[in-house]
Amino acid sequence: MPHHIDLYVKSDSPLHRVDPRAKMVAIGGLLLAVLAAPIRPLWPAGALCLLVVGAAVLGRLPPGMMCRRMLSLALIVGLPFALSQLGGEETRLAGETFAVKSLLVAAAFMVLMASTRAVGLLEILGHLPVLSPFGQLGEFILRGADLLAEEVTRTNRAWMLRVPGAALGVRLSGLAWASVSLVARAAVRSERVGAAMALRGFRGKLPAATLPPLRPSHLAAGAAYALISLGIVGVGRWL
Amino acid sequence: MGALGLLLPIGFHALGWGGKAFLPMHLPIVAAGFLVSPATAVSLGIVVPLLSGALTGMPPLAPPLALLMAGELAVKAGVASVLYRTLRAPMWLALPIALAADWGVLILAASFAAGFFAVKAAPSQYMGAAIVVGLPGTILQLMMVPAAVLAIERRLPQLRPRRRKAPE
Repeated sequence: MPHHIDLYVKSDSPLHRVDPRAKMVAIGGLLLAVLAAPIRPLWPAGALCLLVVGAAVLGRLPPGMMCRRMLSLALIVGLPFALSQLGGEETRLAGETFAVKSLLVAAAFMVLMASTRAVGLLEILGHLPVLSPFGQLGEFILRGADLLAEEVTRTNRAWMLRVPGAALGVRLSGLAWASVSLVARAAVRSERVGAAMALRGFRGKLPAATLPPLRPSHLAAGAAYALISLGIVGVGRWL
Repeated sequence: MGALGLLLPIGFHALGWGGKAFLPMHLPIVAAGFLVSPATAVSLGIVVPLLSGALTGMPPLAPPLALLMAGELAVKAGVASVLYRTLRAPMWLALPIALAADWGVLILAASFAAGFFAVKAAPSQYMGAAIVVGLPGTILQLMMVPAAVLAIERRLPQLRPRRRKAPE
């Protein structure tokens, strides 16, 4: 089933071909490095920024689109940063730390989500010991959302075909009522599916999909990326 | 309900209505708190904002607003579910207590952020700010959640919490 709701950018770039588990290793190292990075001097954070931009270039991600996505954070990061500049030395430093680290982590996540299918990441989460229930619940929600979005779109299209000249208010109310009845129908259906699963022996743990073996070259690439990130910060702290 | 928690904010943003003011993700998750067990309600509260942050970029994962929202929604849905389904409190009591518990999480987060930015402010100021910012969303929840829960319970009576029998 196609997944419509995610930030994935379709491409056949080297970054897209890397195993999502290796990307998670890389981003884990990068996150640790960002958290530990000093802000004064700024060059370690700048080097980490270059690493993120390098990954985006490797993924052949459109720069305009990535900038637009980052722009949605402008107010959330910019306002506390601007306000912090009115305070004392400690507040100003905290504001700079907040802005630089937030933007770096957000950019890294955007590159990850633009080059990896969300459902692939959720499948991996479904295999991790503590996080597996959340991964499985996430997969359920994602599939439900995709189905619901598709049904609502189809119902809306059918409504517009039947009443082409209807006012926007009438169309919106039709869409709202269609959505309500779809949700109620989905609830009834999920009750039935749940009952059928319980009858067949479901006891709360879904069988997880088998993941293909992780190629050593991919793992090495992810680990190298993580080590380079940590190394940059290590040198920055040492100097 | 989890799927609606993902789709409603997208719809609100597409229509240009303020997501921060109306808190569209809160509506289905709080409603779910009244319809499912506490464990499921807390899990939904944790998963939906993080999933939405990863899938749509809003709420953002960094700065960690998605994490803050996960805490808020988990507490709100969990408190609603415990009060309504486990302790059998009436909805008119459970909903305001759940909303107040959400303000508690916001105050904790605000005091943490104030500590990070080395800003000195009294807890009453955080409380005031939290209530004012979330006021339109709170009013919407007070209006919509009981209506939605009652409509769903009428349609699916098996979801209603079983009331204790009165002593004969």
